[in-house]
Amino acid sequence: MDQERIGGDGFAFEGNWRAYAPIAFTNLLLTIVTLGIYRFWATTRTRRYLWANTRFIDDRLEWTGTGKELFLGFLMVVVLIGIPFLFLQFGAQALVLQGHAGLASILTLAAFVTIFYMVGLARFRALRYRLSRTWWHGIRGGSDDQGFGYGISYMWKSAVGSLALGLMIPWSMMSLWNERWNKMSFGPHSFEAAGDHGPVFKRFLLFYLLPFIIIALVGVAAVWGGSGLRGMGSGGPTTGMVLAFMLVPLLAYILFGIITLAFYAKFFREAVEGLSLTGLNFHFHARTKDWFLLFLGDIALVIATLGIGSIFLQYRHWKFFVIHMGVTGEIYTDELTQSRTKVSRHGEGLLDALDVGAF
Amino acid sequence: MSDFRLWHYDGVTAVRRSVELRRTGEGFALEEPESGWTGTPVDWRDLTVVSMEGEHSAYGHRAIPGWRMGFSGQAPQDIAAHLPKAERYGRWIDRFGFWRAAGVFMLVAGLVVWGALEAPGVIAPLVPRGWENRMGDAMVGDFGGRFCHTPAGDAALRALAGQIDPRHEAREIALANIPMVNAVTLPGGRIILFDGLVQQAKSSDEVAGVLGHELGHVRHRDTMTGLIRQLGLSVVLGGAGGNAGGYLNGVLSLSYGRGAESAADGVAIDQMREAKISPAATAAFFERLGGKEEGAEARAMSWLSSHPLSAERRRRFAAAVTPGATYRPALDPAQWQALRTACATDPKVAKFWDNPF
Repeated sequence: MDQERIGGDGFAFEGNWRAYAPIAFTNLLLTIVTLGIYRFWATTRTRRYLWANTRFIDDRLEWTGTGKELFLGFLMVVVLIGIPFLFLQFGAQALVLQGHAGLASILTLAAFVTIFYMVGLARFRALRYRLSRTWWHGIRGGSDDQGFGYGISYMWKSAVGSLALGLMIPWSMMSLWNERWNKMSFGPHSFEAAGDHGPVFKRFLLFYLLPFIIIALVGVAAVWGGSGLRGMGSGGPTTGMVLAFMLVPLLAYILFGIITLAFYAKFFREAVEGLSLTGLNFHFHARTKDWFLLFLGDIALVIATLGIGSIFLQYRHWKFFVIHMGVTGEIYTDELTQSRTKVSRHGEGLLDALDVGAF
Repeated sequence: MSDFRLWHYDGVTAVRRSVELRRTGEGFALEEPESGWTGTPVDWRDLTVVSMEGEHSAYGHRAIPGWRMGFSGQAPQDIAAHLPKAERYGRWIDRFGFWRAAGVFMLVAGLVVWGALEAPGVIAPLVPRGWENRMGDAMVGDFGGRFCHTPAGDAALRALAGQIDPRHEAREIALANIPMVNAVTLPGGRIILFDGLVQQAKSSDEVAGVLGHELGHVRHRDTMTGLIRQLGLSVVLGGAGGNAGGYLNGVLSLSYGRGAESAADGVAIDQMREAKISPAATAAFFERLGGKEEGAEARAMSWLSSHPLSAERRRRFAAAVTPGATYRPALDPAQWQALRTACATDPKVAKFWDNPF
């Protein structure tokens, strides 16, 4: 009776944007009139709605984080990082003016390394915070790891990833994903992440194809411009040529974006595919086309509403994430007992300050 | 009320129970008839709202994490009366009312922004001069050995300073070996003329005008005001998040503000009148800087970018010329020559390009 066999998707999203709109608009208004301070409570209201409308197997998720936690996390970042960096900034300027450029560059380098480390730490802690505030069947997730070691891994793996013309990037990304998730748990069970970077690598090679595509495009543009020269006489050709050469960078830019999407789509599928929790195996079904349509929709929404539509982006992204998530396997609810991991009191302040995403 | 069905998680395992609520003295106990399971008694006051989404309500227990009780639809009257109310916007705003809270916040926000813009000008004069001097020295020191010193050049600079700043309001006026058309006022009343400006100037009167302007910043402690504003804005706008705050901060702290610039020009004109130096050359200098942006004058852009230049400023200096008044040049030709060659002839001065900023 306590065993649930899961087929199909496992995840479902039951919200709709009309129900979310009052939350989004009042959040926007309150955020403006409080000079941004309300955004921590706004985030909490949004997440409470999104989580409560997300069904996992037979019940909805719960978000129990509070605006106060996020606000305290932000204040901690201001005090521990913001103020020292402000002084460092003035101090480095002063050192340069006094002729100690060497010392100033050492200080600046130290600051850069510290920020780099903090980004890794923040990614880990944000995931831990989000899991520890996410409840399902009265059980929550979490991690007992503080993430300090992950910060070190993040530094050296990212550095190694950029070696050899970036060929190691897929490995470093997947390895960091696995390392992060392997330290997370839900209830008494640990997540197991065994994402394989091999299948992602082929997609990654598309980036190296891009320069050749651009060269080919330039060639085509030259021919097109040249044919215009012969066809249209003396006035038209320059415009045709200029137009062609203006289109090339634009096309290159768009192509770069599409390749990034294609790579990330594959990466995220493989990463989630390798993720499991006791008897549950996770899947992610979104393909490059789906991601492409998501971002195209985002852009259209923001442009058509002169920017106001951006308050719906969080909703759109969560919905996209949930409807493409799947889970198979078996879950024994009587074996799923309460998590004993520690609950940190403050939210993802670091992540907020450094502006990096959790997934 | 027959379709009112309670579900329950005890927070220990993930097993979902279909329960019935049995009233006891100050609270209730949950029971699952099917299995004979009975939960511990719960006081009504221990209930918290976990979520209220559409038809679905879930309540938690103040002391037992993960304890949940929930239902779909409407609770019967006798139970509903005891259930806590959900927070909507946040406790304070709910208590106050949404529109009233928004109005009050808007008022406070307006005051904060106004205060952040105005307060630095009020606070700066209250900072003891000694602090500001020490701060400036710590930040700047000897400028990395880039001050140009030759006996004749120093004498010329002293002569110029003596006319524009007869009361010694500036603690130091120095010439730095930096090839930018610029002059800066540093904390602690220190004015630094860059060699690029001296080379670009067509006469000593132009340098006198710029020096008078910087003296205005010293007199009104504009640098301290700017520093405090930058500090204050970075704290206030930190709450706004994203990059918008950063950009705004950068733009606002870039200049002293229109009022401060205009006041500094006023000081320059006053000092030049006292010293009987013609403001006409400064007006011409502005015209050269603002007029064309190409060729050799392009280097003038750095002075332009930090000091908003307008035809009005030029007209103001031009209008300050008293017809029929007798003016004398700020420096005699020998002094002017000594000032112009000070950086080139000082053998000990640190080269700007050897150790770039």
